[in-house]
Amino acid sequence: MDRFYKINIAVLLVLSVITVGMLVQHEIEVQGSVNPKFTKKAILKRKYEKQMARNAWLYGKVISLQKAGQSVQAIEELRKIMANNPSDAYASVLLGRLYYQQGRLADAIHSYRKAVQKDPDYVDKKTPLYIGDEIMELISNARGKLNREKRLKPNDTKIQTAINDIYYLQRRIAGGCE
Amino acid sequence: MNRPVVKKLLDISIITGILLGSGCVLLTLLGNPVNSGICLSCFLENLAGAMQLHDHVRMSYLRPELIGFVLGSFVMAIVTKRFRVTGGSSPVIRFFLGFFIIVGCAVFIGCPIKMIQRLGAGDLTAVAALLGLMVGVWLGARYIRAGVHLDREKELPKINGYVFPVFALLLLIFLLVRPSFIIFGQTGPAARHAPIFWSLAISFVIGCSAQRSGLCITGGFRNMFLVKEPTLLMGVIAAFGSALLLSMVTGQFHLGLNGQPASHTEHAWTFIAMLLVGFASVIIDGCPFRQVIKAGQGDVDAAITCLGMLSGAALAIGWSIRSTSAGTTFSGRIAVLLGLIVCVVVVLYYRRPIIKRPDRQTH
Repeated sequence: MDRFYKINIAVLLVLSVITVGMLVQHEIEVQGSVNPKFTKKAILKRKYEKQMARNAWLYGKVISLQKAGQSVQAIEELRKIMANNPSDAYASVLLGRLYYQQGRLADAIHSYRKAVQKDPDYVDKKTPLYIGDEIMELISNARGKLNREKRLKPNDTKIQTAINDIYYLQRRIAGGCE
Repeated sequence: MNRPVVKKLLDISIITGILLGSGCVLLTLLGNPVNSGICLSCFLENLAGAMQLHDHVRMSYLRPELIGFVLGSFVMAIVTKRFRVTGGSSPVIRFFLGFFIIVGCAVFIGCPIKMIQRLGAGDLTAVAALLGLMVGVWLGARYIRAGVHLDREKELPKINGYVFPVFALLLLIFLLVRPSFIIFGQTGPAARHAPIFWSLAISFVIGCSAQRSGLCITGGFRNMFLVKEPTLLMGVIAAFGSALLLSMVTGQFHLGLNGQPASHTEHAWTFIAMLLVGFASVIIDGCPFRQVIKAGQGDVDAAITCLGMLSGAALAIGWSIRSTSAGTTFSGRIAVLLGLIVCVVVVLYYRRPIIKRPDRQTH
């Protein structure tokens, strides 16, 4: 190994050590300076807490009407809120619950599907929003009934859509890389 | 048991297949997404997100498995003195075919290895994928027989072969140090992952074994169609068998067509997408998994294919090419058709007519 190689290998080693050292030091500094309130997990936790508090505030009246069994009035109230917040996934969750209360299974399933499409956190077990078990309960109650109805009315597109919605929700709840 | 049977059972391809199949299920049990213990296309999408090549945070995680495959292959190639640095065989074409392979995988939602795991877990939607892949490989094999092959590779200076393993090492540092510019999603698939140690260990062992055996999902079918050579196909069958067995034992087996995780029921598009994957993989000589392994053992062309696959993974998310449980997307369908067009153009250009030698007259 001549001088040229020796010098360049030494330069390479020094540069590598400096780069890795700077990277590690920077990350230690960043992580050390981060207030525990501002870690990614804490931020996410706060985001969910805020979201749930907002839902409780915005939909409080709807929820109390639902609990009182006044689903028609609750849906009316909910529709007013939905007109101003069309992309809010929780409104679709509530609508699904209200339809389920009224026995409108196909509509309930479709609402849950809309909610999951708007916010996949509702079928993510790692988030506090998870309602997969609630959806599975609805699915297990609806599946038999919808299959029977399909046999009676094979060309009814609404029933077929509801069955497709069930499959969609099952796939999402099952997990997978999506 | 007589010796040839034992020898056949202990064939390195079969061992690799068993490691791959069981590795898929084990990684799922350890925390990876359901039916996605090992999926090169999903992992590349996650890597692209981690590197901020797309902005879908739920799909952003630096998967240690990719690092393990490359480093396992690299170490095995060095130890067994099979580290041969070659390249220069139609690099840009390989880049784009790598891109379109991931497009096909994204439309199906999974690479050929995930297809095997999904089949092993009872997901019948993957049957259309298997048929599509087989038809694609068969088509590719027909073209090879008709004289289609990309430019010949040549020996390159060693440094070219070290670039990809060093890149993997850099990713490992990023994984451990977690710098702020690498994104680690907290929800969705990104949050579902096995412990780093186990992901690295399992994938490293698989990488070593795959380097020795040359196991390739599309290669197994290609060798069978082309020269009726079953060794690699036995490895593929072993992967399926072990995935099936472990899925059954661990309660992950759910036979059915509907309600399978991360799947859709547009079977025709699944078939066409995997046909593209099979076809393109035969042209560039290896499925996505094999490309990663080859990149680790000094194949610069495979490294360029991997970069194409990474670009494909980023754009599959960014351009909504990737299918969802709701089905395929318009851009996904168009991208698959474009991929097939590119493949046909490539095979048309690279066809070298086979000149038959006149039979020697014997006197």
